[in-house]
Amino acid sequence: MNSEERKGEELKELILARIEVMPSNLKLSIGNFGTFTKQELMEHVKKGDEEGKQIMQMQINFIKALTSGRFIETLNKND
Amino acid sequence: MINVLIVTRPKYDDGTEYLSYYASLVIKEARDKNISVSDFEGEEANKGDVTKFIEKRNPNIVFVNGHGNEDSLYGHKEIIFSMDNINLLKGRLIYARACSAGAKLGKGVVKGNNGCFIGYKYPFSFWFDEKWSAKPSNDNIAKLYLEPSNQVMLSLIKGKNSQEAHEKSKALMLENMKRILVLEEKKEPGTMGMLQILWNNFDGQVIYGNFFARLE
Repeated sequence: MNSEERKGEELKELILARIEVMPSNLKLSIGNFGTFTKQELMEHVKKGDEEGKQIMQMQINFIKALTSGRFIETLNKND
Repeated sequence: MINVLIVTRPKYDDGTEYLSYYASLVIKEARDKNISVSDFEGEEANKGDVTKFIEKRNPNIVFVNGHGNEDSLYGHKEIIFSMDNINLLKGRLIYARACSAGAKLGKGVVKGNNGCFIGYKYPFSFWFDEKWSAKPSNDNIAKLYLEPSNQVMLSLIKGKNSQEAHEKSKALMLENMKRILVLEEKKEPGTMGMLQILWNNFDGQVIYGNFFARLE
């Protein structure tokens, strides 16, 4: 496994861990992609299918906003 | 001039059920303000009936609820607006509470005219509590996502311009993100997942065209 693949796997693990802690009574509606329980979300991420890629992309957007400081900056601007 | 609002709100799955319920709150508010509202609910949200209405009544504001993608908006299980009939939307004030149409269709809608498009360049998403899926009004989780989106329309109904409506909606999303962060401090489970979805709606909400469009 090269470093890019390793990073991808680590990111997937992080995303799965974040989904794992969601309460079981919650479901996620992602428009055309459908509505998903946390188990279904995790299965799609593990498979890496279209739904899984979309779920990953949404998480990546947020992680980028957190790590770049944009998320905090935006929240603070609104104070 | 009489303001004419057309609302499309299919409801055939959990996602559209929630959108339809929240759209009903907007309809009530608009009627209270004496705005003429035509409500295309459920199977009535079809291409034929919606097209006929727009051609005949020339509504100045269009509120679309349902599924979508980069170049289409759906009604009841069928596309009602796409690049092929984009002229139906031109020159109007559009709010598309649907996935991704802000990435392409929305830009085309405002090209060469004085209309405005507010929508989402990413999938519009929300968490909801399965226990309340038959009664969305009781669902405090879904409310975190759907009340800020309703604010676009509620602000327009109150006479705000499109830019103000867009900004008010985004400000409410930020307020809700802060509420979720308070839950995070209390170690409530799943708060980061909830926050992430709201951030995507916030980051994905776009406005194109005439920022000063408003009801007459």
